[in-house]
Amino acid sequence: MPDNIYLPSLGRIAYIKDEVVGERAIKTFHVEPLDGGWFDHDCGQCAMLSVFGRGEAMISIASSPLVKGYKQFSIMRVGRVSSAFHDLSVGDVVGIRGPYGNSFPIDDWRGKNLVFIGGGCGLAPIWPLITTAVAQRGDFKDITVFYGGRTSRDIMYRAELEKLRGSVDVHLSIDKMEEGWDGYCGFVPASVMNRDPSPQNAIAITCGPPIMIKFVIQNLNKLGFKDEQIYTTIENKMKCGIGKCGRCNVGKDYVCVKGPVYSWAELKYLPEEY
Amino acid sequence: MEKILEKKRVDDWVAALTGYEVHAPALEEGIWGYQPINGPIRLDHTNTKQPPKEFAFPQREVFFSFEQIKGEAPRLKQVMPSGPRHAVFGVRPCDGRGVPRMDKVFNDHAQDAYYNARRKNVAYVGLACNKPPSANCFCLSVGGSPVSTDGLDVQLTDLGDRYFVKAITEAGKDLMTAAGKLFADPSAADQKQLKQVHAAAVAHPQRAVNNPDQAPAKLKASFKSPLWDELAQACIGCGICTFLCPTCHCFDINDEVQGKAPLNGQRVRTWDNCQFPDFTMHSSGHNPREGTGARLRQRVCHKFQYFYENFGMHQCIGCGRCITECPVGIDIIHVVNKVVENAG
Repeated sequence: MPDNIYLPSLGRIAYIKDEVVGERAIKTFHVEPLDGGWFDHDCGQCAMLSVFGRGEAMISIASSPLVKGYKQFSIMRVGRVSSAFHDLSVGDVVGIRGPYGNSFPIDDWRGKNLVFIGGGCGLAPIWPLITTAVAQRGDFKDITVFYGGRTSRDIMYRAELEKLRGSVDVHLSIDKMEEGWDGYCGFVPASVMNRDPSPQNAIAITCGPPIMIKFVIQNLNKLGFKDEQIYTTIENKMKCGIGKCGRCNVGKDYVCVKGPVYSWAELKYLPEEY
Repeated sequence: MEKILEKKRVDDWVAALTGYEVHAPALEEGIWGYQPINGPIRLDHTNTKQPPKEFAFPQREVFFSFEQIKGEAPRLKQVMPSGPRHAVFGVRPCDGRGVPRMDKVFNDHAQDAYYNARRKNVAYVGLACNKPPSANCFCLSVGGSPVSTDGLDVQLTDLGDRYFVKAITEAGKDLMTAAGKLFADPSAADQKQLKQVHAAAVAHPQRAVNNPDQAPAKLKASFKSPLWDELAQACIGCGICTFLCPTCHCFDINDEVQGKAPLNGQRVRTWDNCQFPDFTMHSSGHNPREGTGARLRQRVCHKFQYFYENFGMHQCIGCGRCITECPVGIDIIHVVNKVVENAG
């Protein structure tokens, strides 16, 4: 930890891409350290980003820890700071501090089958895990990705997902049929049931809207996944990132410190305050 | 170090503390509050309306300033608290017990440089409560005592025309040695009187949380109890309970912009409040603590369950401010007792 945990480092926006346009716009940013290096992170951790004059927001780090030159963030335009990010241009400088929170226990999962289930912008928090597993492909058995958006225009990382095919089993879905769509049509939990992945030697990781997560977990249980084989991430409003500002707690634990990654075996016993 | 100080010499002691900014309770428009002292000191207060937490955790703390000329990188300038040492007189034992609780929050997992810079610069001169200063005092039932020295650097006990002065820490000894000549050694009679006064203080009846040891488990079991909504029905969400609490530490961090070209301003920490709906509301509009019941539960469970689970002690120190000042009569003693009792 630095001496002053609240003082951010500076990062330069090196790349911006429109992932999803429209009302629920998502942009992807690459942020490079302005002066030399900065912190390393693990899969699932977050960083507090700031646009000076607008404030700070906690965002999942969407790049693999193996990527050293920049950190990737995919941000939906919803609030004050996320909107400020959407107004930035390449070359603009932002604040960044972290990393915060726990991480996915990827080392415990080597030799296993991985089943990723994402919806909407919920692909971003698990993207570092997917890309790390793909980079270390020999360490894992089958890798399957289920991912869905409301419409085909809401599918983020589309090109990157297509590139995974061959080494990863990718199943894309949209909620309602569109002309020319050759993936699954329906909600993500149904898309999972359509392929009934085996719980044998497998870990399932899901992230997305709360309602999606709820039904995904129910379906995974039906398929025989035990609670300790299911992982998800939760989010709450955060200001400090270090368990002091007092708002992101679920029961006694601050999500910014003990989360955001939980197994369903842990999470199902916590109060529903997320 | 134990000494006797005649009451009429207290002002001389304060005057001798030349290296310190001295604060003590002062009565202003009917309200007791800590004020910087330039003249005679009064220690006949009940308790201050605001606890002394502001000395380490002020309502507003500037973290850093920023300036950004268009096309250039922003320049950040850290603003670390500095200034004279503070000696805070008249701190009640309950508020003293708030200090180590705040120390834990601001040093657990990660150290808060701003809090610690202020904290190491302040010494607390406590005043034992010969009788409860408020009808809502309940320190005894939450593990405290009207003669507790926890969190204090010096303890004063009123012995009529003189104070029994006890140094609790090295910082407290420094305060006393700064005016060594004013102090006399206590006689056997002084020691005897101290014991009597303390025994009477502890024996004075107080209100009480009935089963504080059972509270964490019983509250945990009552998370989904309909009592929370019922007990919070009158709540108007004003947040006075937490703003006046010696152990409430929640805060917000915001950027305050002073000018647009070049962009300049400050990143500022201010007290925040778990009783406000915005406190936990996501940008999406989803709120994990919707309704006053969920927010009352958060306040009470933080004080009597979560903090206990994390640090092995209740966060509530029993000062009674949240009860006395609540405009709609929500009473944390009643709430805890009712929920715990109802949990069976």
